Amino acid sequence: MNVSIKRTAAFCAVMVYAGCIVSCTRRNGITASDAEVKEPLTVVMELAYPPFETKDADGNPTGISVDFARAFGTYIGRDIRIVDTQWDGLIPSLQTGRADMIISSMTITAARSKVVDFSVPYANSLLGILANRESCITKAEDLNRKGMKIAVKSGSTGFIFATENMTHADIITLADESACVTEVVQGKADGFFYDQLTVYRNWQAHQNTTTAIFVPFQKKENWGVAVRKGDTQLLEQVNRFIADFQSGGGFDRLTEKYLSEEKKAFDKFGFKWFFDLS
Amino acid sequence: MTIFTRKTKTAYVLNAVLAAVAVITLVWLSVLRLGITFDFRFIGDFSKRIGLGFRMTVEISICSLVLSLAAGILAAVLQSGKILFLKYLASVYIQFIRGTPLIMQIYLFFYIIGTAWGIENRILSGILILSAFEGAYIAEIIRAGFANIEKTQLEAARAVGFTRYQTVRLVILPQMIAGTLPPLVGQFSSLIKDSSLLSMIAVIELTQTMREISALNFRLFECYFFLGILYLALTLPLSFIGKQLEKRYAFEY
Repeated sequence: MNVSIKRTAAFCAVMVYAGCIVSCTRRNGITASDAEVKEPLTVVMELAYPPFETKDADGNPTGISVDFARAFGTYIGRDIRIVDTQWDGLIPSLQTGRADMIISSMTITAARSKVVDFSVPYANSLLGILANRESCITKAEDLNRKGMKIAVKSGSTGFIFATENMTHADIITLADESACVTEVVQGKADGFFYDQLTVYRNWQAHQNTTTAIFVPFQKKENWGVAVRKGDTQLLEQVNRFIADFQSGGGFDRLTEKYLSEEKKAFDKFGFKWFFDLS
Repeated sequence: MTIFTRKTKTAYVLNAVLAAVAVITLVWLSVLRLGITFDFRFIGDFSKRIGLGFRMTVEISICSLVLSLAAGILAAVLQSGKILFLKYLASVYIQFIRGTPLIMQIYLFFYIIGTAWGIENRILSGILILSAFEGAYIAEIIRAGFANIEKTQLEAARAVGFTRYQTVRLVILPQMIAGTLPPLVGQFSSLIKDSSLLSMIAVIELTQTMREISALNFRLFECYFFLGILYLALTLPLSFIGKQLEKRYAFEY
């Protein structure tokens, strides 16, 4: 054989060999083997939702969900690795195996349940409205008129509710909670659908320009912990942990640590508290 | 091994096929490793919204192209002009816009300057912001194109007695076109891609539409993959046209 043919053959052989090596090291997406039990558990959350998920002055994760995640780690004897991820990237992280759990104050919905498995509920999820003072809104239906503009955060339950129910209004979908609040404060939007706590806090911060509407306007929904579809072992552990944590008063301790002010305000308004699942 | 370097037809075809196979294999292997499946059926369900978003992107890009060309030419002329005040203004504009990220400019102009001066319409704001952004880059391209004209050309024009208008029309412009056309076409291509950032202020263009759809159906990969193909549908013809124009306007000195 002449040199040229030998070289081409050698080149092709190297390519095929390399291809085999790459395809053989396939990453298995589902954690099933016992050997992985002692590995750290990767929990993703969006650290932009104080006081549930946020960062401290040094940039380290802190908040209710962070403490909750670490308590779970202690319960099952594994280290917890918390990774900050944008909201729309949480479920994809789970789908691709970059993460094992989502603990990010995520509401259990039918659409989400099709792609991930949720734990038993651990908190209530109720929407409120941060409304611009000059828009004269007293209830959710007031926003469902032509010309009304509603700001929502992409992928949140506020987004889902607004797109399904507020059919006459213009829906402004933004990536950040802060952008949504800015839109309402500046009058570019008439209302912002989000959870009651954040609505309350932002109303407190912008009392001149906004009002808050807490009258419940949707069916009861709950937060849950999400795991990959089919990861039954982890799911059972989470469910047992949640029951244990609840009966042991873990949520009361978290409330005391992070939300004592807000709990007093909620009690005054007569609203059901987050962790009161009765 | 000369099959890889020969300039015969079979060599071209073979190498093109090999390149395509390499890319497809890489993507396919990556997907295989993750154990996920693709489902592109949503495109049919959402085709109307995707079509509207696509149209919006095209409209914004065309409007911004025209405005940014105007802004860029103006800034380039002012910057090389004699009135110092205007020259400094143009300089500040170009340096600031080129030196800061577009995301920051979008938020700054929309929520602060736009609100202050009453520009409520998102699409208009978006076009203005994008034009201002690309205009600064175009100003630099024009400045570079002008600087590449030999000084002797301008001297000769003066010697022959051309007026300023004649000099620009007969000497400067023809020689500048060859030099500035490729980067300008590239900048237009960038403009189309940069318009995707207007999704930050919820302008319902292509990227925002895809983001909203992916938030509903959790098919992030399929959505963004398809988005990439749609943007390529806009930028590939552009780069082809650019190459044709380049050939047409290139002339030997």
